[in-house]
Amino acid sequence: MIRGPIRIRTLAWILAGLAVLAVVVFAAGLSPIGAAGGHSAAARWILHTAMRRSVAFHAMGTEVPDLSAPGLARLGAAHFESGCAPCHGSPAAPTGGAAQAMLPPPPDLAARIPLWTPAELHRIVDEGVMMTGMPAWPARGREDEVWAVVAFLRKLPELDAEGYRALAHGGPEGSSRGLALPADPPFADCVRCHGTGGRGPDDDATAPGPIPRLDIQPRAALEAALKSYAAEARPSGVMRHAAAGLDAATLAGLAARFAAAPRDPAAALDPAGVDETLLARGREIARRGLPARDVAACDACHSPRGERVRDVFPRLAGQRRSYLEAQLRLYTADPPVAGGPRAELMIQAARHLPAADAAAVSAWYASRAPAPR
Amino acid sequence: MAGRRPGPRSKKAEIEIARGQETRRAGGRPRREPIDGDRKLDRLAPIALILPAAGLVASCDGPQSALVPRARQAVEVAALFEWMAWGAVAIWAAVMLAAILAVLRPAMRGGSRRADRLIIFGGVVFPTVVLAVLLAAGLRLLPDWGDSPARLRVEVGGEQFWWRVAYARDDLAVPVRTANEIHLPAGEPVEFVLSARDVIHSFWIPSLAGKMDMIPGRVNRLLVEDPQPGVYRGVCAEFCGTGHALMAFTVVVHPPESFEAWLAAEARPAAPEALREGPPDAAAEGRRLFLDHGCGACHPVRGLVEAGDVGPDLTHFAARATLGAGLAPISRETVADWLRDPQALKPGARMPGYGALMSEAELETLADWLLELR
Repeated sequence: MIRGPIRIRTLAWILAGLAVLAVVVFAAGLSPIGAAGGHSAAARWILHTAMRRSVAFHAMGTEVPDLSAPGLARLGAAHFESGCAPCHGSPAAPTGGAAQAMLPPPPDLAARIPLWTPAELHRIVDEGVMMTGMPAWPARGREDEVWAVVAFLRKLPELDAEGYRALAHGGPEGSSRGLALPADPPFADCVRCHGTGGRGPDDDATAPGPIPRLDIQPRAALEAALKSYAAEARPSGVMRHAAAGLDAATLAGLAARFAAAPRDPAAALDPAGVDETLLARGREIARRGLPARDVAACDACHSPRGERVRDVFPRLAGQRRSYLEAQLRLYTADPPVAGGPRAELMIQAARHLPAADAAAVSAWYASRAPAPR
Repeated sequence: MAGRRPGPRSKKAEIEIARGQETRRAGGRPRREPIDGDRKLDRLAPIALILPAAGLVASCDGPQSALVPRARQAVEVAALFEWMAWGAVAIWAAVMLAAILAVLRPAMRGGSRRADRLIIFGGVVFPTVVLAVLLAAGLRLLPDWGDSPARLRVEVGGEQFWWRVAYARDDLAVPVRTANEIHLPAGEPVEFVLSARDVIHSFWIPSLAGKMDMIPGRVNRLLVEDPQPGVYRGVCAEFCGTGHALMAFTVVVHPPESFEAWLAAEARPAAPEALREGPPDAAAEGRRLFLDHGCGACHPVRGLVEAGDVGPDLTHFAARATLGAGLAPISRETVADWLRDPQALKPGARMPGYGALMSEAELETLADWLLELR
């Protein structure tokens, strides 16, 4: 009992001394922060366990959409090629050099993907990992894009170089379905998703998928969209990565190039395979809107006939159904995931559009033949 | 009832002093010593209460007053109110008299039995009878919809934050659609058919009738008989969102012939000079802007575009007295201001602003064109 207080006082002195020492080490810059030496085994275990537990915890309850949806993995692969492969490498081009000197080194994904569930992969791609160099998805609210990457990642372990190129480039390197790929860098980046003719992956206008057709759009609409993406006003991780750093003249040139491509007269969706009542509902909404729900008439701005409509408004006739549905989901989300000079018009026009009606109007426009140029 | 109680009363006077300048003008001085000032403030209290009230009475006139009734239903409401108000004054005087008597003559003759009788009569029987009579009088004002005398039906829909209006009558092939202004023929009975699409609103033209709620999913009806010629103001009387206070409308009661002329004009498509496509002049340019910016997705202009039905019908926009549901008089400036940024003029307005999408010159051209829609 007599020695107790003395021991506590001694302990306090030791702790205070250690605290002073820690401050001195910290302030004097004695602690190493370099990446060359790697982590100690203990630090690696602590960091890695914290990361694994955090990802598993935060991925709980995540609803996984259908990852086998047509075209989804294709979009993920095309983005992976420019957004992820520079650090992680790909089956076609293993990484090395500078990227592998990061701390921690970006893992070889083919070996690691099977260790994670789709929900956990979604969490990692969407949120990134602190202090590892793994960035967060460049746009908030674009879960749909993150799922495209996850859909691709799930396929990655089975892909060889050729399979990877087919998915990310649409064919052996340097070609897209036999077409020569352009050599100029920004356009070559666009082509992986949109095709050289702007019709979509492999320049097939009728293949379903989440990537929009550009061949149906007027130049002004393409340029406005590109500038919104580049200015980070319109949220999209894929397009932000693609358009970032390009100057206004380059963006305008890309828009002009796709707008000059021949327009495929085929609609993205064959109406013969679609429920007639769904199309009728979609047509009604396109022409009249849903006055009882404050939904404006789509045709007033996006007329399929192209008359009375300025070129800044994107044309919808012939556009891919799942792209239209995904965009409507973004505009009707709360809060809306949208931006750009005319976003407010669409937010007001579509905010009370029910999901079933969004599906109907998307199917209607997808089944319309685009107007000739 | 134990004599004067200066505490609460002086507090009331203090509040009045803090609020109104009248008291100071009437001889009140800035409060320096609360305890000293109490007696003087006590004497000033009635004046402080009466002066603002006098101001209120002076504003009971005007286009929006239930106290100046201009149709049968409003006359009945006003009459009931007057009976009730004078009755309340009489009861109040009687209670005050009883209180004073109780103070001056604490010992009541007749003992506790008489007191019991007084309490049972004054506290139970009398209020029950008065309330029953008021209830009966109030119920009598509810319209009997068995045989509506009205030929003209005006369908009014409450919207955030404006009014959808349509006129239906047996001799009209289709209802005449308009918005934000109501015109009625003097002397004729009119049935308002009231509904709402988004939230609960309440339709109230104090000069013509009592208020009636507009409830999503149901239809309420309101009869107005024998409206007198004049211009009145109606309001939304149920909080419906941030723009609620700016959701009003003008009511014009015409002599019958001029109402028919107005209705015929309103039924026509938009003015031909506004619909003309060329030559390229200001009007054609305004028309092009209206179509190019997709305004027709929400606003019908009959004869030009009838796709949308989300916002107010603009076919005869410039024939109305006000813009934005009673917000401001219609002029080139106010219309351009509204187009530029509706939320700045009416918080919560659903219309997107076009200030970032059109140049100032374009906004003015479009405003000029809208003013052609007479």
